[in-house]
Amino acid sequence: MITLSNLIYRLPGGVAQGLIWGIMALGIYITFRVLNVSDLTVDGSFTTGGAVTIMCILAGVNPILALIISFIVGILTGVVTGLIHTKLKIPAILAGILVQFGLYSINLHIMNMSANVSANPDRFNLLISMRDVPNAILIGIIISIVHIAVLYWYFGTEQGSAIRATGNNNNMALAQGININNMKVIGFGIGNGIVALAGGLMAQYQGFADINMGRGAIVIGLAAIIIGEVVINSIFKKGCSFYTRLTSVIIGGILYYIAMVVILWLRIDSNDLKLFTAIIVTVFLALPNLNVKKGGKQNVKN
Amino acid sequence: MAVFVWRGIMKKLLTIILSLLLAVTMTACKTEVKEEEKFVIGICQIETHAALDAATQGFKDALIAEFGEDKLVFIDGNAAGDPATCATICNGFVADGVDMILANSTPALQAAAAATTTIPILGTSVTEYGVALNIENFNGLTGFNVSGTSDLAPLDEQAQMILDIMPDVQVVGILYCSSEANSIYQVKVVKEYLESKKVTVKTFAFADSNDIYLVTGQAIEECDALYIPTDNKAASSAEIIDSVAFPAGVPIFCGEENTCLKCGIVSLAINYYDLGVTTGQMAIKLLKGEVKIEEMPIEYFSNPVKKYNKEICDALGITVPDDFIPIGE
Repeated sequence: MITLSNLIYRLPGGVAQGLIWGIMALGIYITFRVLNVSDLTVDGSFTTGGAVTIMCILAGVNPILALIISFIVGILTGVVTGLIHTKLKIPAILAGILVQFGLYSINLHIMNMSANVSANPDRFNLLISMRDVPNAILIGIIISIVHIAVLYWYFGTEQGSAIRATGNNNNMALAQGININNMKVIGFGIGNGIVALAGGLMAQYQGFADINMGRGAIVIGLAAIIIGEVVINSIFKKGCSFYTRLTSVIIGGILYYIAMVVILWLRIDSNDLKLFTAIIVTVFLALPNLNVKKGGKQNVKN
Repeated sequence: MAVFVWRGIMKKLLTIILSLLLAVTMTACKTEVKEEEKFVIGICQIETHAALDAATQGFKDALIAEFGEDKLVFIDGNAAGDPATCATICNGFVADGVDMILANSTPALQAAAAATTTIPILGTSVTEYGVALNIENFNGLTGFNVSGTSDLAPLDEQAQMILDIMPDVQVVGILYCSSEANSIYQVKVVKEYLESKKVTVKTFAFADSNDIYLVTGQAIEECDALYIPTDNKAASSAEIIDSVAFPAGVPIFCGEENTCLKCGIVSLAINYYDLGVTTGQMAIKLLKGEVKIEEMPIEYFSNPVKKYNKEICDALGITVPDDFIPIGE
């Protein structure tokens, strides 16, 4: 059964899922790279997005509108993290963990206290579904392009530039008269809004929302960002534009899932998947730093 | 400098990965021809867990007993607890064109059902198919390519068991994990039954193994007896529950045998291995073409066995009726 043709047939499914996780990784990119903080809210807000989307669809809401509602609810979760971080002076990483922890209960309430809610693709009109992988890939690409375009435009505006400045150098941004606390809250909000939207896409794709669906989302997102950076840095050696970087995140998500498909195709025990992921992310995070020690120039930001 | 080192590493990595891929495909191609007449069955299981493993094993054993090991190919997929990985695994099965999918647990069943409308899917360790697949007015037949076995023990009989053994019970606490879809359904049914018998019911939900200790502590203070449904988290943390409830002398009634073995006094046991065997027998009928999956009703575990934990019962001074048999005999 382990044949090349099998692998090729399996790839489209991996690409479709990779696109969804790539979109989620765009949200993490905003906090992790643009704002330069680690936001752990995402494990919770991804599930929130899935839960809100499925409950909306069950209530007869149009699937695209359901995604938009998820996006807005996701922004709220990020804003809460941002406010805890900026107003209560709690370190960002801790603020994220706290919100993510609390979201578990909120997500259960959203799903009417059940751990798992399904939207049968036969009965409900879903935007994407595993039933139709080519369509899922097409929609995934369209949504990715929309995200990249909007983010590219937004981070070119005055407010977007202020967010980037805040991430680059807090003190400098402050000296320029930027309200860095507000910029952080906005950054957390947008990031988690995108993550929640991706959660909604995932829930539609797999046909259900589950209280555990966000588990490990941050690691997958970081993996996608880092794999994307490795690819982009090996192609564009003299730096590249912001939209290329955003695209690389999506590509990173796809590559991550292709790796996953290969691992499953090779019949490697998937109980070991998480260890593999952790090792791969650690290695890719560490490599640029190790190069610096050897006297080379740092080629990846941070 | 860094760039060169980097490129060197990347090139080597790529070479290694490509040659590995090639090697694997070459060896795999050789064996492929023999697999033509075999039944290929994809097994998607949400996580490694004693009860789920037993169901998978029972399923495999039943099929092997019927067809023999060399006529069957099992592709094992374990999602390590991530529902999204079930989707990846099931997508893979559809791409492989397997003959049948065994979906072990609720998220696995949902992912399989979302992935294909043509390949027959048998579920097991799923409690309520109607809820899991969002079917209105579910009557035991899905009407599409899904059937299987339910691990639902007769809940009213379980609830009655509490009343039989402790006729004077005033307050029963139900302890369960809030992240398990199956448990929430069972809690609802048992609660309704006990309340109809004028027993006060309090529910105690824990989110994960970290808060079991505290939640159980709260439960034993407020209740005369506890009931634990068929719940994966409770089963895997039964020792913690025991370490709190046993010293306090609060008896625990269990929905499932593994939990009862570690912390309970009695259970109306479902045997997951046998449940897997039943699922396997359904698979045999399907693979032989004797019946269509659309016409195959969900099967329930027919004769749950009344079992008791001798050690804990003796220690708490509880005598059980004669038709209960000790666990392990």
